[in-house]
Amino acid sequence: MKREQSKKYSGLQKLRIISQAGFFALFLILFIKTHYGGEDYLTTTVEGFFHFDPLLALATTIGSRLFFVAFWLSIITLLFTLIFGRAICGWICPLGAVHQFFSFVFKKTRWLKPKKDDHLSLAPKYIILIIVLAASIFAVNLAGYLDPLSFLYRSFAVYFTPLLNMAFSQSAGLTYSLGFESLGQTFGQTLGNLALNSYFQHALAIGLLLMAAILLNAWKERFWCRYLCPAGALLGLFSRFNVFKLKIDPEKCINCHLCSIQCQTNARPYPAGEWKSSECIYCETCAAICPTAAITFPVRWQAEKIQGVNLSRRKILLTSLTTLLVAPIFKITLHRQRAYPALIRPPGALPEEKFLNKCIKCGECLKVCPTNGLQPALTEAGPEGIWTPVLVPRIGYCEYYCSLCSQVCPTGAITELTIEEKTTVKIGTAFVDKNRCLPYTLGRQCLVCEEHCPVSPKAIQTITVETLTPEGKVATNLAPFVNVNNCIGCGICENKCVVVDEPAIRVSSIGEARSEKNRLLLQVNEPGDPQQ
Amino acid sequence: MERRDFIKDLVIGGVALGVSPGLWAQPAYPELAVVTGESPDRITREAVQILGGIKRFIGRGDKVIIKPNIGWDRSPEMAACTNPEIVKTVVAMAFEAGAKDVIVMDHTINQAKRCYIRSGIQAAVQSAGAKVLLAEDQRLKKVNLKGEWLKDWEVYIDFLEADKIINLPATKVHSLSKVTLGMKNWLGAIGGSRNQLHQIIDQAIVDLTAFFEPCLTILDSYRILFRNGPQGGRISDTRLMKTVVAGIDPVAIDAYGATFFDYEPRELLFLQLAAARGLGKFELEKVRIEKRTV
Repeated sequence: MKREQSKKYSGLQKLRIISQAGFFALFLILFIKTHYGGEDYLTTTVEGFFHFDPLLALATTIGSRLFFVAFWLSIITLLFTLIFGRAICGWICPLGAVHQFFSFVFKKTRWLKPKKDDHLSLAPKYIILIIVLAASIFAVNLAGYLDPLSFLYRSFAVYFTPLLNMAFSQSAGLTYSLGFESLGQTFGQTLGNLALNSYFQHALAIGLLLMAAILLNAWKERFWCRYLCPAGALLGLFSRFNVFKLKIDPEKCINCHLCSIQCQTNARPYPAGEWKSSECIYCETCAAICPTAAITFPVRWQAEKIQGVNLSRRKILLTSLTTLLVAPIFKITLHRQRAYPALIRPPGALPEEKFLNKCIKCGECLKVCPTNGLQPALTEAGPEGIWTPVLVPRIGYCEYYCSLCSQVCPTGAITELTIEEKTTVKIGTAFVDKNRCLPYTLGRQCLVCEEHCPVSPKAIQTITVETLTPEGKVATNLAPFVNVNNCIGCGICENKCVVVDEPAIRVSSIGEARSEKNRLLLQVNEPGDPQQ
Repeated sequence: MERRDFIKDLVIGGVALGVSPGLWAQPAYPELAVVTGESPDRITREAVQILGGIKRFIGRGDKVIIKPNIGWDRSPEMAACTNPEIVKTVVAMAFEAGAKDVIVMDHTINQAKRCYIRSGIQAAVQSAGAKVLLAEDQRLKKVNLKGEWLKDWEVYIDFLEADKIINLPATKVHSLSKVTLGMKNWLGAIGGSRNQLHQIIDQAIVDLTAFFEPCLTILDSYRILFRNGPQGGRISDTRLMKTVVAGIDPVAIDAYGATFFDYEPRELLFLQLAAARGLGKFELEKVRIEKRTV
């Protein structure tokens, strides 16, 4: 018998690799471009990727009981999948490309040795999907933790960006010290232009999770896509027609098992009749490596009986019920009863409950924040809010003429704001700690906070204070006094305070515009105030 | 002319010259040039011309660094940063004098790129053919400022490597030092924990002024910030003065700048300290000032 691989499918396989590389590159470029590039309003952002994601669309829509218009694009994804199957997983998904690449690397290094008959259940991702969707019925949004786009973007934002920053600053330092002035300057200026955020709380956890997800490919090829990905599971449920149907020519097949061994998602192209069309991602590997070109994907329109993953009704029911029982635990938290001082949300953030329903923890706002002030929350927002964005003024303040986080948010958890609107949105209130403030307690002049206050008239006004010193003298200095009505809670005062460890002026969430409860002063005219 | 008249004129002239010998001993140029007019470009050029022209300050082949105030993320009409047209003119003049290389930089307070762009200074400088540099941490070097208060402090070496420095401050009020003009502008040439300098701000200003030696200072008072300094935020916080004040004596320039806000120069502690240190004079009546309107 003639032994020859199919040229057509080898070509398609190469095309698929080019497509994956292209979409990954696009994702990466858009990721890097998610920063202030000189314009107040971003034109190209990575948001579009998210809007094509039906898992995010479904979970946030169910969770918030609101349909965010941009998510209509995900319908295209669903229709495409309905007709063509999970080709998007194989050809477009950027996280899929990462896993495919590392699976390839691990195979080449012989760390990954695919077995002949791998019967490890592919069901966990469907269980995860059920958990995510069932939880969203109780308005607990878990979609973002394992959604591939959120996962990739968040990992890049929190782990890869600081890494890139280190690389640039080390390169600049090294080239300068070696005397290559212009090269050093190139590195240094690029660093300043990209404004790469370099510090994140929980970078360890988020970075290690990415590493773990990648390393799992050494155990099973595309481990994530096979066993974990809820978005892939959703697409699997929607693949019905699979117009290109796998066909093995029994005349040519030499029963070598190579196709099933090398199948990226264990969709079992061989033996004939076992092909799981809802698991196939059309990577074309089987058809390309078949030594006798026995495998083809001819067009056949009729919907066949779905050869999917076996999920018993009992399992589905049990998972759903368990989730419905467990999900509310996320909400049994003090944060729901009373505002939490450190929970300073970005300007434009929806009221907390709605915000939690919509935020997918993708990390776009963390990436775009010019001061590194937006950080992934751990305890600040309760268990539901892990890795949602929270402003930590000590790390970075909210830049006055900046509304970038509101522009990049893919789900509308942060309402899009113009610069003019943003400057009026109050996200918290600053309070002076007189026990630590220099003029009050040490009798020294300072007023750094007042200098930096960006609103006009300034929210930080000055009063004259007298401090008795141990020498028996009276030190007279100007000291800060916060006008809470003018303060927008941007936190630059806390950020620039000379008492760096525990600043003498601190912002807490009280007074935030998005909350009706977390308020401080009634708006009343005090005696003597001019009538408004 | 009658011979008698001629002799009379000669005598009068000779007496006039004779009783004011100082006139000959003094240099030809005034110490401060104060020029008012509609065009920022024209008043800047005129002021430098009064001082003897740009070639008096910049030589052929010089590496020049210009230090405007680009501290804040504010547009030009907020008067928080130096007027971009004036920066552009000074860059152009430096090139006209034969400068080899002209760079413009500041250690900003808000995100650097934002400040460079919104202030209009980046575009202005680039259109004049020079480059703006973002302040880089790698370019900080700890040096001995030899100040009375400030000793070792980090300075951007771009300022140490340049042949000539031109100081190009804005004119603003400040709650602590009362005003921020040319001398306080040097806080933007250094790194380190700048917020600590507020504790003895006047001495810090003087120590930094003594360290940096600009060949020329041009105070941009085209639009001044008289309220909510040093970053303002509303156009109503500013006032159009359409003036520049140029000179070499950093103390005299700031003394003049203070008068825009109705301060008597002697009210300002940093001017007194600077004068005591021998950095210049703040008694404006002792300064030769030439005022012009163009």
